[in-house]
Amino acid sequence: MIAAPDVGWVDAPLRRFVEDARVIYALLLHPTGQVLGQFGFTRRVDIMGASALAAAIHATSAELGKELDGAPFRGLHFAGASREVFMAEVSPPGASYLFLTVFDVMTSLGLVQLYFRRLTAAIVAARPAPRAPLSDVQLEQDLTDHLSLVLGRAPASRPPYPSS
Amino acid sequence: MTNPATLPYDAVLLPLSRQRGVMGALVAGEADGLIIASQMQYGVEGDAISALAASLYRKARLSAAAAGLGSVQLLRLEAEGGHICAIGRDDLVVVVLADTRANIGLLRSTMMRVIPLLP
Repeated sequence: MIAAPDVGWVDAPLRRFVEDARVIYALLLHPTGQVLGQFGFTRRVDIMGASALAAAIHATSAELGKELDGAPFRGLHFAGASREVFMAEVSPPGASYLFLTVFDVMTSLGLVQLYFRRLTAAIVAARPAPRAPLSDVQLEQDLTDHLSLVLGRAPASRPPYPSS
Repeated sequence: MTNPATLPYDAVLLPLSRQRGVMGALVAGEADGLIIASQMQYGVEGDAISALAASLYRKARLSAAAAGLGSVQLLRLEAEGGHICAIGRDDLVVVVLADTRANIGLLRSTMMRVIPLLP
């Protein structure tokens, strides 16, 4: 698992979901297993295990969906003896995330699905716009500036990048 | 298009949804709040009402049991713009959404009458 940089925007929508839906655990991750945000887990090893398993289950169910339905399954629900798991894909434009939550009798699948739809909308609204790829000139300027900082020299003053 | 799987619930839902002021009626699972069958007016967010009302009914039932009051018969929530009524049997709950024009007495008696018809 690789720690994802700059994912603070996930916290507010995720906290709101947990408060509204009354779930025990919530985890938002990339389909690769890279964690974006979590609630309820207290040990790093538990997050790693849950995210790895969720990513694997998601990949498996997506393939199963393709086989059976011609398209990947987008959501899964497992009911245990006292706890249930709901897992679904969050797909804001240009990205794909995996969401996993664990809940008990304090809430219900219907409520979890209801607030998951609101979480999806909140994530779409809160997600920062993807950064445009750096041009060669910008990359060279950045490298020079950072090198100057490392060597204790002031970066050369220049106009800001043109907005592409 | 009629869903054959939900036909047995028509006997429960039709007498409710045809009443004056009723904006929708649905049958949901009490534990999960998911809709089993519904007759809703266009624009009514059935999924949300189902999930929230079923949760409310379950908590009311548990509260009444904890307080030693016995089983809940009918739950009525009165709001500024209308009413939400819920009645349950076994693990199912019937939810009716009505505006202020609805005859609540008639609605209540109809709900009591149709609840034994739940499959």
